[in-house]
Amino acid sequence: MKEGFRQAMAWLHTWTGLIFGWLLFAIFLTGTLSYFKEEISHWAQPEIRSHQLDPVTSLGLAQQYLQSNAGNASSWFIRLPNEREAALSVNWRDPNAQGRRGFTSKALDAHSGEPVEARDSRGGEFFYRFHFQLEMPYPWGRWLSTLCAFIMLLGLVTGIITHKKIFKEFFTFRPGKGQRSWLDGHNAIGVLVLPFHLMISYSSLVLFMYMVMPAGILASYGDTGGYFNDLFGRDDPPAMTGVAAPMAPLPELYAKVQTLAPGARMGYIQIQNPGDSSARVTFTQAAGDHVAYRRSANWTFDGVSGELLRQGAPESAAMMTAFSFAGLHMGNFAGPWLRWLYFAFGIAGTAVIGTGLVMWLGKRQLKHAKSASLPGELRLVEVLNIASMSGLLLGVAAFFWANRLLPVGLQGRADWEVKAFFLAWAVSLVHAVLRPGRKAWGEQLALGALAFALLPLLNALTTGQGLDQSIAAGDWAMAGFDLTALGTGLFLGWVANKMLRAPKPVAKRAPRTAKASAEVVEVNGC
Amino acid sequence: MLSIALIGFAGFAGLCLSMEKHFNELLKRKPSGAQVRALRIGGWLLLALSLVLAVQLRDWALGLVEWIAVLMAGVTLWVFGLPYQPRLLLGLAAASVLLGPLLAVIGV
Repeated sequence: MKEGFRQAMAWLHTWTGLIFGWLLFAIFLTGTLSYFKEEISHWAQPEIRSHQLDPVTSLGLAQQYLQSNAGNASSWFIRLPNEREAALSVNWRDPNAQGRRGFTSKALDAHSGEPVEARDSRGGEFFYRFHFQLEMPYPWGRWLSTLCAFIMLLGLVTGIITHKKIFKEFFTFRPGKGQRSWLDGHNAIGVLVLPFHLMISYSSLVLFMYMVMPAGILASYGDTGGYFNDLFGRDDPPAMTGVAAPMAPLPELYAKVQTLAPGARMGYIQIQNPGDSSARVTFTQAAGDHVAYRRSANWTFDGVSGELLRQGAPESAAMMTAFSFAGLHMGNFAGPWLRWLYFAFGIAGTAVIGTGLVMWLGKRQLKHAKSASLPGELRLVEVLNIASMSGLLLGVAAFFWANRLLPVGLQGRADWEVKAFFLAWAVSLVHAVLRPGRKAWGEQLALGALAFALLPLLNALTTGQGLDQSIAAGDWAMAGFDLTALGTGLFLGWVANKMLRAPKPVAKRAPRTAKASAEVVEVNGC
Repeated sequence: MLSIALIGFAGFAGLCLSMEKHFNELLKRKPSGAQVRALRIGGWLLLALSLVLAVQLRDWALGLVEWIAVLMAGVTLWVFGLPYQPRLLLGLAAASVLLGPLLAVIGV
């Protein structure tokens, strides 16, 4: 009975892993990149220079700019520069606008307060959106990625059940032994980084629980709108009085917040009815100030007298639980070191999926090692493996190359970057179809190696903010991107080199019969 | 954070060596029963110590997150580094036992 259960779980692990693995790989890789969303955006818009942080001055500049350029807007939003975002962002809403439209956004230089005309690019936002929306129309992308999160969780649980020697082989990795090493690697990364894997897939389900388990919400609220209003607080603007009144200086209100919550960093600042006697100013604390993704830390002032009107109430225990998972997933609170660890664990998750896909095929390929070509279904898996892994890397590289090479004035420039991403991905699929497996892997990885390793050079030539400049200026977001691209290029080059060399003889497995039998059972289980 | 990472790393190294298979492979001899027990207890104690330090240094929320993060990173380094650089990692583990608490005292 027990063996039967384990076999069933192994079956489930194998087949859900194969079917969803390709998409999960893309979700994990782009999600991992999202831990450096702001840094990627900074690289993608090098026109926005980073300066020493000075929230008070920045806030004054933002208010000045909005007063003279958006005096009649119905609301303003200000995002102060922080350790990771260089721009002082201002948004405002046209008074005659309907619904969600009518927003104007500007990036201001944090020191001069002048608008910066940065190149049109979605930057890190593209990878971030892709990892849960998959560039599909709402709500289908979210549904699909949520389903993938569920499959990932399922894969982890079934994987643990299938993996018999989780404690006995806790510290085991045996390289250079073909299929055995792949399984060791797959298991070891899976088990050693398990807390992260479990957290990331379970918290995805928590983030989208209004979609996954909507019954409770629908029964009490009828729709999700009322639920979100209760969860995050209402956002109804006060009625306009029509009486013009000078606004209180925002830096003074900022100082009041600082006395209420010393050292608090600000996420965004919302000003409703600016210039009217009913003006309201709401400061919301930066998400990075807490591990939990709290929305309650906010302070609302009368925009004219500067009097504190209300503070956000603390969350209930249930809300704190959900927000803790959300916060852990997004990792806004992570400083540089912890952020790098998040990135490394994200890569680890991607590697677990990738090694699983490679093993699925590798095991079945062994049976056809002697024949000239693979059966059609195995060839299909091979092509999809190549396109979904090395092809995706080429897509990511294409996005960055497009960012530097497309003319700045090009109409729909940001969309062209996205098209470059998908185009490169599609071409890699065609290439994988046309070339034999090992060659396709090697060639795509070699091209990827070149594309990533040359990014710093391309950056230096096109923007004049190459490594020499960025390191000297202490712009570590820019330098870190270039160095990471270089490292990625070197790593891909190493792998490509392995793939392009003549394959080692695989016949090593044959002599070990008696000893191998125990292992084979387990290898077959995956 | 570094002190927590080092102490946790040493803890896992101890737990790894407390397994006869790994002790044999790394130190080329059979461990005695007392050694196994000492390594196992020492390993767990170091892990517990790093947890206490993490919570003390960063409070519960961030402390727990950082503790799990550096532990995962350390043990992954250990497992994937062992086949290639066993002596280096053993040395690093030994150094961590001394350096970790030392750094903890000065609060790093």
